Amino acid sequence: MQPIKFLFAIAALMFVAAPAAQAEEAFLNYKSYCMQCHGMHGKGDGVNVPAMNVRPRDHSDNKYMMTRTNTEIFKAIKYGGPAVNKSVKMPAWGDTFTDEEIHQMVGHIRTLCCEREIIRGVNFK
Amino acid sequence: MKRLLLFIALVVIASPAPAGAGEEVAKILKNRCASCHDLTGPAPQTIHELWARDAPDLFYAGNKFRREWLVEWLQKPVRIRPAGVNYLRTINSSPTPKPGEKKKNYDVLWGSVLKPLVHIKLDKAQAEEAADALMQLKANTQYLAGMKLDKGAQVGLDKGEVLFDKIYGCLSCHQIEPNYGGYTGPELYTAGKRLQPVFMLSYITRPKNWDPKIWMPNGNVKPGDLQKIVNYLILLSKEDFNAAN
Repeated sequence: MQPIKFLFAIAALMFVAAPAAQAEEAFLNYKSYCMQCHGMHGKGDGVNVPAMNVRPRDHSDNKYMMTRTNTEIFKAIKYGGPAVNKSVKMPAWGDTFTDEEIHQMVGHIRTLCCEREIIRGVNFK
Repeated sequence: MKRLLLFIALVVIASPAPAGAGEEVAKILKNRCASCHDLTGPAPQTIHELWARDAPDLFYAGNKFRREWLVEWLQKPVRIRPAGVNYLRTINSSPTPKPGEKKKNYDVLWGSVLKPLVHIKLDKAQAEEAADALMQLKANTQYLAGMKLDKGAQVGLDKGEVLFDKIYGCLSCHQIEPNYGGYTGPELYTAGKRLQPVFMLSYITRPKNWDPKIWMPNGNVKPGDLQKIVNYLILLSKEDFNAAN
């Protein structure tokens, strides 16, 4: 293979592989930390739900999730529910995740609620 | 600061028991506990390691548990974490309802956690020895520095429950009486008997210090409320939960 082609191949691979690795990490984080309340499929039906007086958000609820911006979701994860006028039952995860991980998590949540919009290229802000 | 850390490290290294007893004690732990429990640390550093964990880490047991409780528990082991140590293995999202039962619209516990805990049972003398051995495992002592329980910051059970449920939301994952509260954290109505107050103070302040990947968030508890919550948990553990049943 010509060197230049090889370089192109590597560049292309980086574009494909890096986001895939990040997505996997976000998926694992979601499974480990969010699932206990938001449920195995993100439908707001986690194992702790019977103990909660506020139902966790259903992340697959397209209609509701489309009313939230990415900034708001980021804030809710990092600073907890009260930061976006929601329940204290959503704790602040700022000490558990880095900002980068929270951004990836927002991306992961978008795949649960808004796949059609992602394909359409909607700007979630 | 560096000197302080060095000093703490020296104390930790120098403190294990005199040579004669040391060998016996090491054997007890190695033979009986090490196949499931981590006795040497460090705690899981990645998510994959976290989900490979089979039993609670014991390498800081001496900074965590109260000896009396260990002796008692080792003779009569019961489950402390309703969803087990590893909740990914013990929840089921689409359970088949039993005849006559309504379909649950949330994930439920299943499998081994619904049965009594499987754990080695020791007799009194063995339990005493094992507890002694465990109490010598003192890692992470640096995180206990500056922690002191303020016994003046007492709250009643009602006020404590408000803090626990409405203000910090701990109840979502922890139980404050049998079958009341969430599943993914350890039960806390026995915490006052089980844990050293300074450990509770330190762990609530920043769970990540003790267990970097644990699914308990840092609740940003205010120092005053922290003292109240720990005093509440101690008060709670004095209740007799068998009386009502």
